[in-house]
Amino acid sequence: MSTRHPSVLVVDDEIDICNNLSDILTAFGYDVETATNGFAALDLVQRRPFDVALLDLKMPGMDGLTLYRKLKKLRAGTVAMLVTAYAGGDTTREAIDAGAWQVLPKPVDVGRLLGEVERVVGQPTLLVVDDDADLCENLWQILRQKDFRVCLAHSHDEATRKLQENPYRIILLDLKLPGGNGVGLMETIRESNPEAKIVVITGHRSELEETIDRVLSEGAEGVCYKPFDVNRLLEMIQHAAEQNRT
Amino acid sequence: MVQFTSPQNRALNSFDAGERPSSAGLRPVLHRVTPMDYERIYERYQELQRYVGWTDEDAARVASVAGLAEPFFLPLVEDFYEEIERHPAARQVIKSPEQLARLKATLVNWLRELFSGRYDREYVTRRWRVGWRHVEIGLDQVFTNVALSRLRRGLMRILAENWNRDIPFLLEVRQSLNSLIDLDLAIIEDAYQTEHLERQARSARLATIGQVAGGIAHELRNPLNTLKTSAYFLRHVKSASPEKVGEHLERIERQVAIADRVITTLTEFARQPLPTLSPAPLVECVQEALGVNPAPGNIRVHVDCPADLPRVMVDRAQLSIVLANLIRNAYDAMPEGGELKITGSAADAAVELIVADTGIGIPPENILRIMDPLFSTKTRGIGLGLAITRAILDKHGATVRVRSEPGQGTTFTVSFVRAPQ
Ligand code: HEM
Repeated sequence: MSTRHPSVLVVDDEIDICNNLSDILTAFGYDVETATNGFAALDLVQRRPFDVALLDLKMPGMDGLTLYRKLKKLRAGTVAMLVTAYAGGDTTREAIDAGAWQVLPKPVDVGRLLGEVERVVGQPTLLVVDDDADLCENLWQILRQKDFRVCLAHSHDEATRKLQENPYRIILLDLKLPGGNGVGLMETIRESNPEAKIVVITGHRSELEETIDRVLSEGAEGVCYKPFDVNRLLEMIQHAAEQNRT
Repeated sequence: MVQFTSPQNRALNSFDAGERPSSAGLRPVLHRVTPMDYERIYERYQELQRYVGWTDEDAARVASVAGLAEPFFLPLVEDFYEEIERHPAARQVIKSPEQLARLKATLVNWLRELFSGRYDREYVTRRWRVGWRHVEIGLDQVFTNVALSRLRRGLMRILAENWNRDIPFLLEVRQSLNSLIDLDLAIIEDAYQTEHLERQARSARLATIGQVAGGIAHELRNPLNTLKTSAYFLRHVKSASPEKVGEHLERIERQVAIADRVITTLTEFARQPLPTLSPAPLVECVQEALGVNPAPGNIRVHVDCPADLPRVMVDRAQLSIVLANLIRNAYDAMPEGGELKITGSAADAAVELIVADTGIGIPPENILRIMDPLFSTKTRGIGLGLAITRAILDKHGATVRVRSEPGQGTTFTVSFVRAPQ
């Protein structure tokens, strides 16, 4: 496992707040970057993943919620907390619906904020590799509920890239992918994430039988056939997560 | 129909807990009716009298049948309350048999006054108070309408059945009595209207307070956020270098100043003292304002005023607020940079100052609202800048016009009063 510091992205149009949160989070051992608007933030996010994003809700140019929606498309695994001067009401619900982890009222309770960040970075990371965007979003929502940080990759290349950026505890792998075969990824996973547990997800029970046998013999935890029994899949994932912890 | 009430006159009236405790106990706080209200009500009554063509002859005709009608008041009143008995929603406002007895007596009295032939200020005031009493007890207006129509029919029947003079005169009396009852109905309606308008004004005021509170919440919580996080840093990060500590103390001071400015803006808006006008050189004021509000690096500022520009009649302190608002708005409109051009020119009796930016512009649907208090499309600010600007310029006898082209820029033209030579 990597020993890097967990990373936090702070976005607020108030430069003083960016600096303050940066000072505090840095003092508590986080790797912090700041941006004073959504566009600059997205630039940073393109370049590297963050574990946590603290986003001001009301900003000129691009509001925090819009920013989060864009950020989530690029980096589904980044856990977002939105900060707002008017907590409660529609925006809060909208933010939570969009997948934000928390909506924190201003002025921020720093003790609580640090607690939340610490809790989030402790959540196991999971990579879903599947070209079906709807399925990915469903899995994202279900697994987020179970306190997994869920990263998504929709193609062979994207998966390869994401595997280099982050260590994952668990990987859900579709065997048929645009731009390459899921089996080919097994190799990459073993190199980049030797500790990751792999669960194969596939809709092609019969045609891929041989391939499935192969990946199982190469160390995959199990197979889930689409349409899957969600409870069964969750059990497999939980089991893998526990194995992996010990 | 001519309206009895005019909302403008009523919007800012004061309230109290009601001079008379409401017998229903559940009514909201009602408007305190002042002598001015009664003056207005009487004026409206006279206006309506003219509208229906009411004359002293009508009054005399109604009075002439008082003796004929009087013996039938009591049965009429009995019938009136029997009808009420049949409507649960109406019945529940009457609490006891004693009250009912009293009501019957007051209604007989009400009928007697109707035939009195004197429809003066006192009459109208008394009748309006009766209407208001029903508003206070929370009686639905439908019931007073229906009840009055029942009384009207009853009276007409009594006249017809007991008539002992010629028929043309009966028709005349009926017409006069109908007009009179219409006028009485209008009085009751006015009482209900008054309450309705009060309620609207009250909820509009509450909405405004909500809006202001929202704006202030945002504007103050941002600086508070910095203050709180700096306090956290200073208290918890023991290893902080003296430079870092200094940085946080500076930030605290800066954000306190920001919070203070929010409050200053609000009080400036609330107070708006009368300006003390004196001749002043406009160019100098503009340069001063630009000095206090320097342009961001990506904005070029260009001031073009002839050296012999006549002086203008202004309160310099207030003018600085106006100029600061116009200049800062221009900067805000050009987040990607651009040019701010300030031009002065002399017109007949005026001196014009044109403040033009090359910014994002104002969409046509917003252009009429930009000077309204609390209107804002920005993420920062309560939305008082241009409202204050306009209020100050109004008191200067100056005017402000705005032209804007979305994507091209906005131009404010202020026309000041020229100082005498
Ligand atoms: C247009 C028809 C009506 C007329 C002319 C009329 C007349 C009056 C008068 C003269 C008073 C005394 C006001 C005062 O001096 O405080 C009064 C009060 C009252 N009226 Fe009417 N009324 C009418 C309709 C109704 C109806 C339909 C109800 C329904 C129940 C009603 C219920 C009451 C009650 C509860 C009071 C208050 C009694 C109190 O103060 O104790 N009235 N009305």
